[in-house]
Amino acid sequence: MKLNERSVAHYATCDSPPDKTGFLFKKGERNTAYHRRWFVLKGNMLFYFEERDSREPIGVIVLEGCTVELCESSEEFAFAIKFDCAKARVYKMAAENQAAMESWVKALSRASFDYMRLVVKELERQLEEIQEAAGGGFVGAGVGNLQGRPKSSKRNKLALSRSGASSSSSSSSSISSSSSVPPMSAPFSAQKSPQDELQLISGPSKENGVAWNKPPAALANGFVEGASSRAPPVPPRRKGASLESPVCPGTGCFSKLHDWYGKEVEELRVQWLQSQ
Amino acid sequence: MRFNEKELVLLSRQPSERAAELGMRGPKKGDVVKKRLVKLVVNFLFYFRTDEEEPIGALLLEQCRVEREDSQTFSIAFLDEAERKYVFECDTEAQCGEWIDSIKQASYEFMRKNLIFYRTEIHRLTGKDPLEQYGISDEARFQVSNGRPLMARDTSSL
Repeated sequence: MKLNERSVAHYATCDSPPDKTGFLFKKGERNTAYHRRWFVLKGNMLFYFEERDSREPIGVIVLEGCTVELCESSEEFAFAIKFDCAKARVYKMAAENQAAMESWVKALSRASFDYMRLVVKELERQLEEIQEAAGGGFVGAGVGNLQGRPKSSKRNKLALSRSGASSSSSSSSSISSSSSVPPMSAPFSAQKSPQDELQLISGPSKENGVAWNKPPAALANGFVEGASSRAPPVPPRRKGASLESPVCPGTGCFSKLHDWYGKEVEELRVQWLQSQ
Repeated sequence: MRFNEKELVLLSRQPSERAAELGMRGPKKGDVVKKRLVKLVVNFLFYFRTDEEEPIGALLLEQCRVEREDSQTFSIAFLDEAERKYVFECDTEAQCGEWIDSIKQASYEFMRKNLIFYRTEIHRLTGKDPLEQYGISDEARFQVSNGRPLMARDTSSL
């Protein structure tokens, strides 16, 4: 399968800030020796370089849908990145000390796009609640006080726990197209597209001295001009997929999901202590 | 550069934000338009020959620019080689607009900016850091751009 490798490698070394960097030992594919490599985590991509100052990565591990676990190993401070697919490779890694291992395990298990999306949705919900509670004084990204939308203080709590179409994405399903999705029945208002959101913020209205303006047409991906003065469009809602994390069922509610991530790290810590 | 292809193929089978048959033209001179099933999953754009299970290829949508080329056509170019454009032909103007919006929002970096905005805004309005209750305030990926941690402040005047 082709990949835009040159651009992916560029992403590794461009000046966007990495989420974590450091040396780790990585077990080789064929031979069983561990090699010390320089790792750079950006978003859901874990790049590895031969040396810290290498200009190009040797490789990348796409971290979407993976789990991170302690593993049995001759190496100390070992952990593994695992995927839920047939004959998936297990990436065995080892850190240089306990603290580094815990830190990497935490960072890697929260590296997915899915997780980031959940956190963003949760904060978006909280901001809406705050803006609603504050009354009509605020105009902005929140949905609550825009024309045509029913006001309901109860709906926000339920928004994250609706089950919607169940999609346990670990099983390989046929390619889903967005045109065949059943509508979700939920107390929350109908899924809004980003265009709706932008159109409802009408004119340059002011809130606390900050003017909200419509963004310009063509933006480089990820670059929002004047980000500090304008609310970004609502993150896309995944049509047809439930808000549950694919790696952890029963966690439609954000705080449950978050506890689950925390538990994983806690379990690893206990396991490690017991193995001492 | 090595990458975990099997896992990427598995990812291509996950529920998508958006999927449709579009005309797709590669960035090289002499590339022609071909009908492809194009599927957006997290920050990847996969493209398949119609009715094939495995994608021909994938584009990681970070550090890229999406632009409207004409009423029904959009392009994706990557910032390291801005002249090389992948071109996509849609059936309608509306469909084209929807794809452009979806792709613009499909990057991890875009979501991070959203998050930092919401976090800063909530802190400004309430004096509290919304991530603290989840124990993730210190994670590098959630930091505001000036690098300073969000401190609880006196909100008695609010």
